[in-house]
Amino acid sequence: MIHIKNVGMRFGRTVAVDDVSLDLESGDSLALWGVNGAGKTTLIRCLLGLLRFQGRIEVAGHDVRRHGKRARLQIGYVPQEIGFYDDLGVAEAVRFFARLKGLNGADAGEALSTVGLTGHERKRIRELSGGMKQRLALAIALLGDPSVLVLDEVTASLDAVGRGEFLALLVRLSGMGRTMLFASHRTEEVASLAKRIAVLEQGRLVRVVPCAEFVAQMAHKAVLHLTIASPVRRQAAETLKTEGFRPQFNGAGLLVPVTPEHKARPFRVLADARIAVDDFELVSLEHAAAHTTPIPSEEAYP
Amino acid sequence: MKPRAVHLLIVALLVLALADHGAAQTRSSEHSVPAFAPVPSDPIRLGVIGKMIAAAAEGDTIEVPAGVYREHLRIDRPVTLVAQGNAVLDGGGSGDIVEISAPRVALRGFTIRNTGIDLDKENAAVRVLAPRATIEDNTLEDVLFGIDLREAPDSVVRGNRIGGKNLDIARRGDGLRLWRSDRTLIEGNTIHDGRDAIIWYSTGVTVRHNRAHECRYGLHLMFSDDVTISHNEFSRNSVGVYLMYSARIELTQNQLTGNRGPSGYGIGLKEADQFAIRENLIAGNRAGVYIDGSPFTDKKPGEFTRNTLAYNDIGVTFLPSARGNELTDNNFIDNINQVSVAGRGALDANRFWKGERGNFWSDYTGYDQNRDGVGDFMHESQTLFDNIMDRQPALRLFLFSPAQHAIEFVGRAIPAVRPEAKFTDEVPLMAPVPIAFTAASGREGARTLLLAGSGGGLLAVGSAILALARGTQRVRGRAIDMRVNSTGGST
Amino acid sequence: MTSVPLPLTMIVSHDPPGAIRNIATIAHRELRDAVSSRWFILYTLAFAVLGLAVSLVSASVTGSTGISGFGRTSAGLVNIVLLVVPLMALTAGAASIASDRERGMLSYVFAQPVSRLEVLLGKYVGLGASLLACLCLGLGACALILVWKGVATRPASIVWLAGLSFALALGMLSLGMLISTLARKASVAVGTAIFVWLTLVFVSDLALMTGAVALRLRIEELLAFSLINPLQVFKMWSLHAADASLDVLGPAGLYASEEYGQRLHLIFGSLLLTWVVFPLAAAAAVLSRRSPL
Repeated sequence: MIHIKNVGMRFGRTVAVDDVSLDLESGDSLALWGVNGAGKTTLIRCLLGLLRFQGRIEVAGHDVRRHGKRARLQIGYVPQEIGFYDDLGVAEAVRFFARLKGLNGADAGEALSTVGLTGHERKRIRELSGGMKQRLALAIALLGDPSVLVLDEVTASLDAVGRGEFLALLVRLSGMGRTMLFASHRTEEVASLAKRIAVLEQGRLVRVVPCAEFVAQMAHKAVLHLTIASPVRRQAAETLKTEGFRPQFNGAGLLVPVTPEHKARPFRVLADARIAVDDFELVSLEHAAAHTTPIPSEEAYP
Repeated sequence: MKPRAVHLLIVALLVLALADHGAAQTRSSEHSVPAFAPVPSDPIRLGVIGKMIAAAAEGDTIEVPAGVYREHLRIDRPVTLVAQGNAVLDGGGSGDIVEISAPRVALRGFTIRNTGIDLDKENAAVRVLAPRATIEDNTLEDVLFGIDLREAPDSVVRGNRIGGKNLDIARRGDGLRLWRSDRTLIEGNTIHDGRDAIIWYSTGVTVRHNRAHECRYGLHLMFSDDVTISHNEFSRNSVGVYLMYSARIELTQNQLTGNRGPSGYGIGLKEADQFAIRENLIAGNRAGVYIDGSPFTDKKPGEFTRNTLAYNDIGVTFLPSARGNELTDNNFIDNINQVSVAGRGALDANRFWKGERGNFWSDYTGYDQNRDGVGDFMHESQTLFDNIMDRQPALRLFLFSPAQHAIEFVGRAIPAVRPEAKFTDEVPLMAPVPIAFTAASGREGARTLLLAGSGGGLLAVGSAILALARGTQRVRGRAIDMRVNSTGGST
Repeated sequence: MTSVPLPLTMIVSHDPPGAIRNIATIAHRELRDAVSSRWFILYTLAFAVLGLAVSLVSASVTGSTGISGFGRTSAGLVNIVLLVVPLMALTAGAASIASDRERGMLSYVFAQPVSRLEVLLGKYVGLGASLLACLCLGLGACALILVWKGVATRPASIVWLAGLSFALALGMLSLGMLISTLARKASVAVGTAIFVWLTLVFVSDLALMTGAVALRLRIEELLAFSLINPLQVFKMWSLHAADASLDVLGPAGLYASEEYGQRLHLIFGSLLLTWVVFPLAAAAAVLSRRSPL
């Protein structure tokens, strides 16, 4: 259903996606996994024809560059946050997108009831909560029942409650033969929605693993958060790298993924290098994924 | 007539003309009169009417039945010719059509058409070579010259319609011409598509209730004194009335509108003297009044009173040589330049107020606290853009643009660049002087209706777009139909 | 839990809607958004009030004399159109794409089965229609005021004026949208649009005036240079349509009238059309190349 072949994309000198190839059969559900800046969103934007890229992407047999309209007709897309006329009524927004998708006489009420927005038809988009906005985006994405659903960190801007509700909704609506491609850095999302996980690091596809295997690996991983004074932070990172760790910058310190049995080793390495660790904390993987910045640039992509 | 007789006649006339010329020179030392020889045309074959004239006695009235007569007439005895019904004299596109060589001839009610187009021979519909002719209620169509009076004093030209040939202006003839025809009355005629209506060397002529449009000069005076011009309408000519080298002229209650072109004026004055221009409506011309070297002497100031000058590109334009004019009680309404001086001349020698009476200026910015009808501050004309346009006429191209207003604003705000006042009116009027007559136009009602219709139409279009914008595209609550016009479906 | 039936009929492949349909959809959306926005109401009011003021002033003078002069009224209206309409169209155009980009709407809409050209044209048509509504309401009100005040004018000239103003508005909208596609932020786009407006309205004319005097330009050169400015084209065209002669504009205008006569309609028309087509084409080119983010 989706064929991504040797896709590359760069912003100026920064390589955002580096020679990625992926194939999704009909009914497949693939999660793009990685920290911010790993290239998840960029890859999705390439798929939607929003960015110019090298390589080739096909959706249901349509080249997204040459037949973008046809390819996008197959795709229901939910962005991180819906950006649309704030003053527009909810039902009206649904009708607008239905027309763009070539649906005649779309009944907004029906589409909205699918995502549990019944009763909010006459509200303006600006009056909706974050979770309701995402449900509206989902309703719009599902118009015309597309064969592919593309979700880009759809829960990133929601609070814990909204996240849970929205995930439940997604789980209820998934399957049904629909192909799903989504970007996420939350294990519970990945675990409940994905069949396979594609791990991206610095734009490169590192590996594709089945969901069960991925979840098992996750259970064994921990992340050490070390608070280190800024003058020596970069030196600390370099030192850890030479010892085989993969440290990442985060706020006032570094995040260092460790295996449970080697949690104390980074302290020894840093002590040998005479770098002081001011504080430390063992954090969850989700937390780490949400708060890291990649080593090379220290800055996230736009 | 035999050729020899014709030659004799020509010589005789030439001698006469020269003698008269000398007499004119002694009489009017200010003007020099060029030689002009009225020459009768070649002999003609007698037609039906010709025979009727030949058979008539002095003082007879000849009634010409309706019909088309392809003949050239020569009326050589004092008779009255009256058309019964639609009698048409058709010149067949050659020569003159009617020539009057006897005094006291009257010509009434004919349609006279299709003269030749020879400008050198001055092919005319009616040529009068004798005094006291009456040319009345005729319709002249497709003629090179219309009515040509040569030495025909005390004549009456009344109620004729004169339509020129549709030719380039350089190839047209004069719709009406007077040559040394004193005390002639020109009344109620309409002239269109001619060159000029021109009066040469004629004293005491009265011109009233005529209309001229689409000509070069609506009325042109050359060396003609004591002329009264009133209640005429001169519109869409190059110049409405041009007074040249003439004295003691009264121009009253005429309507001069839409006279345009490179040198388009409502009224042009060139070395005219002792003139009074009163109560005229002068609107929409390129220049309302153009004054060059007038008044010519200092016998009497040039008088402009109670005229309305409105919507002209320039209200009054003075050449630097113009001096001794007095303008009072006139309305200057929204002329783009109210008053201009060509080049860098000054207007010191002309007055825009006298005693307690100034003019009404639509651009006057003062007020009248004591309510005496006169503004409390004097009116000074000093817009910077006017000043620039007077010096650099090419920059008129930027009229009506916001840049013009920017310049004028700068001129008002910054004293350093404020131009000197061209003229002042110390007693500007607060309200326009009433116009002595209302502009004639029968289509006002229809126009108003049409304008209302256009306005309504525009509003309707605007509202329709708003309605389209506010209306929903689909009727609410219609049954869902997510099915698209498609056949292929796979899951 | 997995067997909740979907109320939607599965349709996997059908043709995407045609370009005209998409343009209409987006245009309608844009028009609706425009006419309920603050700038539309503000500009319509400003335009109508200024136009009415001009009509009333000319009516107050004309009414007492009984003679009519639409020449002056329309000159005043032309002036207001020159001032207000370009500002309106430029800023509306400039705000459109840039602010959509800023609020993430552009990428969201581009992710739908529409082409970028369709989005651009749809926005253009919708904004154009809203400008047309604004002009029609303003000028229509002026016409009715003139009727009420008894100023008899040529009805054709107000319709001409509306038409020409719309042509000018379309040109300026086109330019505004080009600015909008080039700018990163809406505020920058609108600022640039205002700068362009100032240039077209004041700066270029003043510069050309100075240049004409300093360089002693011949009148045909002056005419040619002035016609680069679409505002001057509009001004001359509306005078030409009302008076049939440009001699009111002095030697250069007279030259235009005598040299080109009725062909001026064609010349002015194609010049304004150029201002509509080229910036819009450039905007389409930029939009298709640039990322909508």
